[in-house]
Amino acid sequence: MKTVESEIGAILAGTISAITQRSIFNRLGPLATTPVSQLTSADRLTVMTELENSVRLFARRNSAELIASCARALGSDVPAGSGSPSSSNGAAASSSGKPAEAPAVTKRLPIEQEKDIATARLEAWSESVRIGLSKFTSVKVATAVSELARNIVFYAGKGTVELRAVRDDRGAGLQITAIDQGPGIDSKKLQEIWGGTYKSQRGMGKGLVAVKKLVDEFNLDTAPGRGTTVTCVFRGER
Amino acid sequence: MDQTIPIIQIRNCLLVSIQTELHDRLALDLQESLMERVRLTDAKGVILDVSAVEVIDSYITRILNDIGKSVRFMGAECYIVGIRPAVAMTLIEMGVELDSVNTALTLDLALEKLELLQS
Repeated sequence: MKTVESEIGAILAGTISAITQRSIFNRLGPLATTPVSQLTSADRLTVMTELENSVRLFARRNSAELIASCARALGSDVPAGSGSPSSSNGAAASSSGKPAEAPAVTKRLPIEQEKDIATARLEAWSESVRIGLSKFTSVKVATAVSELARNIVFYAGKGTVELRAVRDDRGAGLQITAIDQGPGIDSKKLQEIWGGTYKSQRGMGKGLVAVKKLVDEFNLDTAPGRGTTVTCVFRGER
Repeated sequence: MDQTIPIIQIRNCLLVSIQTELHDRLALDLQESLMERVRLTDAKGVILDVSAVEVIDSYITRILNDIGKSVRFMGAECYIVGIRPAVAMTLIEMGVELDSVNTALTLDLALEKLELLQS
């Protein structure tokens, strides 16, 4: 049976690594194993939007050609973004290189265990690419989310990472908010962290410092017993 | 999810190609089994290929450094090969050091360097 995964996998083979393909199909969820013949046009758009973003990011060459082949294999004549209004945000924004007026879409990612860290950074990455941030910036976004999510798992046990597309007078960007109700950080420990002398048992004690260096805007709100909220923003152009 | 990263022996070198999201548990397991294999095989070098790893954060860096240190303690040399440009840039910006391992652009170059060490 021709499923989305088998058809698209055959096209992407040799250009996009198996591990990356896996993450693409994971993001598609049940759609990946749906037979191509049973796709609705809305499904097709979802699949194509995801594929467009990923292929553009990961394929070293011929991304336009690959996307067109994928569209043909799925039975749609036009790639996503060229017609239907519901696809125009993500697809059109990434194809022009600069994001169009992006809506403030929010993704809320629960962080409770180690595997959520990997999921969070993949989600952050695809969100970053979707709103038109560069490849390099998207790796930084994913790394920052990884650090923040790890802090949640290590120190608070559980929490949430929220992603928001922002657009204001400073241009387009991605806002990351990491919230937990954990023990919080007292002022003595904060001093050690920013002074670079803090060493945690499990991590490097450098996660927060590292994130602060990566991002364009950074805000930390914490107090003992009140939990911790880190808000930071990545901007498109520096 | 029982996942392990295979360790391949080529002459007196251990080769690990990391083809999966390097989550924390997996990285720690790798460190353990690598130590054991170095002891059993008398390996002179360990090469970790990370060319498929798209994100390396400070914690994973620490584990890589730890692997490098422990391999060195056992008398072998550890090489990390194939770090992606964006990953390298990110590590630099974060101010994170990858200083307990050697690096090489490709597997070939790492093998070459290890051979030079042994001759």
